Amino acid sequence: MDRPYSLVPGQIPGEMWTRMTYEEIGKEIIELLGLKGSPVAVKLARTPADVPAGYAKMIKKERHCQFVQDARLKGMTGYATQAEHLCKGGAAVMGFEPSPDLVADGTTYQKLGNFKTVEGAVETVHAIPKLDEPYYASVYAPLDKAEFEPDVVVFVVTPRQALRLSQAYLHVSGGRISSDYSGIQSLCADAVVAVKQRGVPNMTLGCNGSRKYSGIAEDEVILGFPPKDLGAMVEALRTFRQKWG
Amino acid sequence: MVKTVKALGIRAPNAGILAGNVLRNLEVPGEEVRFIVSPGAEAGMDAVARKYGYLMEVSRLEKDLEIRMIPSGKTMEEIDVTGETCPGPVIIVGERLSGLAIGERLKVKSASPDTLADVSAAVTASGSRITGQGTEGDRHIITIEKAEKKVNAGGPAVPVDRDQVLVSQSNGIGNAERAYATFIFSKVALSMGKKVTIFLLMDGVGIARKGNAAGVKHPAFAPLDQLMDEVMKAGATIYACELSASFRGIGQADLVPGVKLAGAATYIQLLSDPANAIVNF
Repeated sequence: MDRPYSLVPGQIPGEMWTRMTYEEIGKEIIELLGLKGSPVAVKLARTPADVPAGYAKMIKKERHCQFVQDARLKGMTGYATQAEHLCKGGAAVMGFEPSPDLVADGTTYQKLGNFKTVEGAVETVHAIPKLDEPYYASVYAPLDKAEFEPDVVVFVVTPRQALRLSQAYLHVSGGRISSDYSGIQSLCADAVVAVKQRGVPNMTLGCNGSRKYSGIAEDEVILGFPPKDLGAMVEALRTFRQKWG
Repeated sequence: MVKTVKALGIRAPNAGILAGNVLRNLEVPGEEVRFIVSPGAEAGMDAVARKYGYLMEVSRLEKDLEIRMIPSGKTMEEIDVTGETCPGPVIIVGERLSGLAIGERLKVKSASPDTLADVSAAVTASGSRITGQGTEGDRHIITIEKAEKKVNAGGPAVPVDRDQVLVSQSNGIGNAERAYATFIFSKVALSMGKKVTIFLLMDGVGIARKGNAAGVKHPAFAPLDQLMDEVMKAGATIYACELSASFRGIGQADLVPGVKLAGAATYIQLLSDPANAIVNF
C-alpha cells in the first residue's frame, strides 16, 4: 500500500503535482522551521474498523491535548476511545460522548470563572465547534510516522513558526486567514474539529486545561491544518528559506 | 453533496473571510456549502458568494442563521404529487430523497395540504427536516432537506413524559360499544390534561362520515355525534385514514367538519411517538 501523501505543485517538469509522503513532509517541515518535536497527525475514527491497523489503544488515560503533546514530543502513536479521554469537554466535541449537562448549560465554565454570567458561558459553549455524529476514537501519530490519512495535522509552535506556517498556507493563492477561538476546548475543538469540518486552518491559544496539563509552553501557540495543504506549504517554506534565509 | 460548516460566534467580517477560504479550498470544487452562523455574521457574505460564483440564501434556524451557498446555475429538484393517493406520495418522495445526498433539498408540490402534512410526518420521522412551506399558484409546497437520522448510540434511554393519548378506532358504528368507548375514553383523557389524537381507520372511518354518528344512540349516553363534537371542541384531533376512506368511497367533503384525512405516514409517526399512550378500539 502507498504511504499517505500530499501533493506538491510543479516539482517535475510537465507535471502539475508531485506526491510527497507525510513522512517526507513531516521531516522536512521539522527541518525547515526548526520545530521542537513533530507536527501531529490526528484522525477521528467513526468505528473500530476505522482505526488504522497496528495502532494500539493508549495505556494511560489522558486528555486529548496530552495525547497530542505525547505524539509531538515523545513520538507516541496510538488511539484513545471515550474511556481513555479524561477531559469530558474534549471528548464531547469530538463526538465520543454527549456533552456533560453542567458544561452544556454553562454552569461549569461560569463556576470556573471563565464567564461572568451563565448566559455568556452558554453562548460560548453553543458556538464551540463540535461534531454532531458519534465517533469511536481519536488516533495520534507524529506526522512523519503516520500510517494513516489524518483528518488534521496539529502544530504546537512559537509565534514566529506560526507566522511562517500562515505565510506558507497563503503562498499559492493569497488571501487572509481567519482564526477563531474562545479560550476553552482549544486543541480539541479549535485545532481539530473546526479544521476537520471547515477544511481550512485555524489557530488557537490553548485553554486552561491544555496549558496546565499538557506542557504547552508559554511561548507556544497551536495551529491545525488540513493535510491536503501541507505539500504546497513545504514548497512555500523552501522558497522562504531561499529568499529570507 | 452539501458540506456543512458551523461557524458560530464568529462576527463579520471574519465570518466572510472564513467562508471565502472554505469555498476556495473545497475538496469537491463547486460543492454546495451550508454555513451555520450567528445572526449578524451574514453581513458581507453575499459579496463572498458572488466572488466565488455562488448564490446565497439565508434562512433562520431556531437561534442561528443558515447561509446556503449554492453554485450559480444549480436548481433544487422538484416533484409534484398531486393526484397521488396514500401511501403513494410518501413512497414517491422517499424514493426521490434516497437519491439525494445529505444536505440536498427537494421541493414537493401538491394540491392537497393534507398530503403534504403526511409527507412531512414521514420525512421528519426519517431524520430529514422541513425547511420551508407555502404556496405556489394553486399548489401547496414544502421544502425538504435530507439529513442523517440521529441515533442514540449506546447512550441511556431518554425518559419520556407520556402525556399524549392516541386512540385508534377500526370497528366503526357496527360496534356501538367500541364507537362510544373511543370518545368517552378521549373525554376522560382530555379532562386529565392529555393531548388526544383519534385515528379512524378501516371501518372506523365510517364514524366520521356525515350523518352516521347521529344514528348511534344508547339510552344511557348522549348521541355519538354529540360526543364526537364535544371531544373535538375540547381539543382532540381526529384523523381519518385516507386509504380506508378512499376504499369506502369517502372523500374529504363527506366527512364531519373538523375531521382531517391523513395518510399512513401520519399514523406510523403517531404510533412511533414514545409520548403517546395507545388505546385500540
